[in-house]
Amino acid sequence: MYARPVERLADHAIDAAIAAGAGYADARVVQRRAQHVSTKNGEVDTVSDAETQGVGVRVLVDGAWGFAGDPRMSEEGARDAALRAVAFARASALRARRRVELAPLPAASGGFSAPLERDPVDVPLEEKIALCLKAEEGMRRPEVTITEAMVRAMREHRVFRSSEGARIAQRFVECGGGIDALAVSDEGRVQNRSYPSAHGGSSGQAGWEYVLGLGLDREAPRVGEEAAALLTADLCPAGVTTIVVDAEQMLLQVHESVGHPTELDRVYGTEAAYAGTSFLKPNDVGSLRYGSEHMNITADPTTPVGLGTFGWDDEGAPARRQPVVEGGVLTGYLASRETSALIGRELGGSMRADNWSRMPLVRMTNLHLEPGAGTLEDLLADVDDGLYLCTNKSWSIDDKRLNFQFGTQVAWEIKKGKLGRMLRDPTYTGVTPEFWGRLDAVAGTEAWELHGLTNCGKGQPGQHAHVSHGTAPARFRDVQVGVRQ
Amino acid sequence: MNRALELAERAVRAADGDEADASVHVERSGFARFADSAVHQPTLITDESVTVRVVRDGRVGCATTNRTDDDGLAAAAARAGEAADSSPVDPGFPGLQEPAPPPDAEGFDEPTAALTPEEQAESAATAIAAAPELGLYGYYTSAVTELAVASTTGHAVAQAITDASVLALAASDEASGYAEATSWRAGDLDPAAVAREAAEKAARTQRADTVEASTYRAVLEPYAISELLFYFGFTSLNALALLEGRSYLSGRLGERLFHPDFTLWDDGLDPRGYPKAFDLEGVPKQRVTIVEEGVARDVVWDRRTAKQADDGHVSTGHGLSAPAQGFGPIPFNLAMAGGDAASVDELAERVGDGIYVTRLHYLGVVDPREGIITGMTRDGTFLVQGGKVTKPLVNLRFTTSFPALAAGLLGLTKEVTLVNRSDFYDERYPYGTLVPAVATEAFTIVGTGSGPGL
Repeated sequence: MYARPVERLADHAIDAAIAAGAGYADARVVQRRAQHVSTKNGEVDTVSDAETQGVGVRVLVDGAWGFAGDPRMSEEGARDAALRAVAFARASALRARRRVELAPLPAASGGFSAPLERDPVDVPLEEKIALCLKAEEGMRRPEVTITEAMVRAMREHRVFRSSEGARIAQRFVECGGGIDALAVSDEGRVQNRSYPSAHGGSSGQAGWEYVLGLGLDREAPRVGEEAAALLTADLCPAGVTTIVVDAEQMLLQVHESVGHPTELDRVYGTEAAYAGTSFLKPNDVGSLRYGSEHMNITADPTTPVGLGTFGWDDEGAPARRQPVVEGGVLTGYLASRETSALIGRELGGSMRADNWSRMPLVRMTNLHLEPGAGTLEDLLADVDDGLYLCTNKSWSIDDKRLNFQFGTQVAWEIKKGKLGRMLRDPTYTGVTPEFWGRLDAVAGTEAWELHGLTNCGKGQPGQHAHVSHGTAPARFRDVQVGVRQ
Repeated sequence: MNRALELAERAVRAADGDEADASVHVERSGFARFADSAVHQPTLITDESVTVRVVRDGRVGCATTNRTDDDGLAAAAARAGEAADSSPVDPGFPGLQEPAPPPDAEGFDEPTAALTPEEQAESAATAIAAAPELGLYGYYTSAVTELAVASTTGHAVAQAITDASVLALAASDEASGYAEATSWRAGDLDPAAVAREAAEKAARTQRADTVEASTYRAVLEPYAISELLFYFGFTSLNALALLEGRSYLSGRLGERLFHPDFTLWDDGLDPRGYPKAFDLEGVPKQRVTIVEEGVARDVVWDRRTAKQADDGHVSTGHGLSAPAQGFGPIPFNLAMAGGDAASVDELAERVGDGIYVTRLHYLGVVDPREGIITGMTRDGTFLVQGGKVTKPLVNLRFTTSFPALAAGLLGLTKEVTLVNRSDFYDERYPYGTLVPAVATEAFTIVGTGSGPGL
């Protein structure tokens, strides 16, 4: 088959690396275009349109890794990246303590693109701006001093080739949006509400229809009203109580206390100096009690609309649905070929790189809390006295992913199964397996939502990953709430 | 000619509008990341990023590209023009920077710029070899970055800067210690000394104890106070946050809010930091007094917030590039005045009974308006008893008020240290804080975490 120029660049890089002494080489050629539109208080805040392209070459020389990225889409650029990667690997290999071994992987060949109705990058900027301005309007209240709306769109072509014969071409299209209202009282008290998620809204791998489906203008009046109401709400009290956590905050709970600790590179310590390690050990699979029997977590890079959905990961492993926690017991890890070889299990499929200029790392794909049964109202009905916590506001978790403290934008009292008064500045804290051990219900499929976030940080140099989490409201008993200084 | 300036001027020439400017990042970096005493993620990056901003009839649009041939720059300029045409008039746009000569700034070191991947790997190996008794985790990195801004106003500034850092976590399953060093001159760094500092600290952390949740007197090493200060600075020392009422300083400027020994400024030209002559809008860097002997004086400004304030403020040279200006101006060069303590041991004497903190982890701002920040301590937390640093402690969760910490100062070391604050996401842009170690009477612990070690 005649290879297109982009594919030829990847082949050229691999040929150069192997000729220079690499025992293994792979190359990713990435071409990405990303748009961001935001409005604030009825005026355009940002209209940006960014493109980046380049080739990233990863090699193994004498059992040691090397990586180099180059922005030039030319044979010279591809060759330079390959030779620099080999030189860096060779220098690193001189003091390697062990040879990197890769778990076997059949060479894949094929293409992937998620279905979409309307390419979001091609939607005129005027339409994006108009959508944001309309969504903002609905949030306005005298107490709301800042209203913001944003939408984003991204299109990326990614070609992967390896010296083992992998030949993969994938297209990823993402878009998303969100709104925020900030209210400030005369006394200087500040509160905010967001929809559909805090910290940049929610995104999906889909066409513009995803953004329209978010209903930003539909939700705007509620968001504005709640931000204003929080100014006069009582402070969330401290104590130990039952909490029901909404689907949006549950995505962060899953992300921080299940996603990151089950990344096998963290378990083996390669993130120790920065993001941290994990309380889990390699031999915990099949035996470690992570939570109650209601806890079922699945990594699924085949989920429609998920930001972590692909045909193959960034070392050519095929997308595969894998359980991570079943009935509260740890049953799997997120892994690479290297860490799969270390643990001696066939895992893989979670290697992802932020763009052409970064080395792939073990990352979350789409990590879901599987639904239970019933509705949110059913969860609330079995609470005599507790709190319903909604929308993340702050987050922090320790380097082994045990001790966490999360804040949400709002809470409502639950009294005898019904929602009561609104409370401001709620926080809750816990220790990961103890907390998940207190899970006694997860709402069912109808309450299960897929949220996508674009700000998952890891690695040095730093990398952002785009990941999705499917979650439903969940109930936890005997949780410490109301932690402030 | 500086490569970045050449790209900026070509991009401006490619633009079609009433006005246009371009900001450029050119990066060549090497990152020898190591774990378990072996280099495992060695990464070399070369890239060029050009952001073009076009103004048409008061409408503003921007586009970014790393395709730097003529076609690529022309395409970016065209997309910026389309973005401007698609936007309504921007009444908050302050116009482009008029020609202004940048101040003299250091920040470029030829030997650092010339470091090869082999030498970067060798420096990592030197650190690893200095801590043979424990696993070493961290990195050695160095880079040369060119920055430039050019504009149709005739403004054109360019600067090449270098940076190098070494970071070491020495750890076993039950012990861990941390150290780092950074400079714009790689020759200032001693990777072996950093590794030894981390290993010596780790050796003291085994069999860690716990403490009750309470507000403690505390000694914070520069690594710890630097991170707290930067989070406080990002959310409170930013003119946009001030104007929007989100900052701790909103409505409080001119008040004595902190201890008289707490003096804070931002100075991008200080050669002890990462000197830069201008910000990412091309505005010359100014020294800004933020807190003077405990009295809140000002925050940092960019051109847009200065216009928004409409009270005589001008940009202090803290602007981001056009697509990122929604964050407001950022104090990238915070510096705290040192005090009279000769060492951290002397600070421990002033604390008497309390805790000693080497480093923090995963901070989150719980309440930006009140300056309340949460996070964990790690890799060197100890008890202070009778004025001495004694037994090791497990990692502690703090949820503490930065203003209360700074109001309750018990002492500051005379020596100040540059601490890197970049996690090296996106384009290379070195920044950090110049801070002493501090002793405070108010550091609030709300829980305990796991012990030291992996």
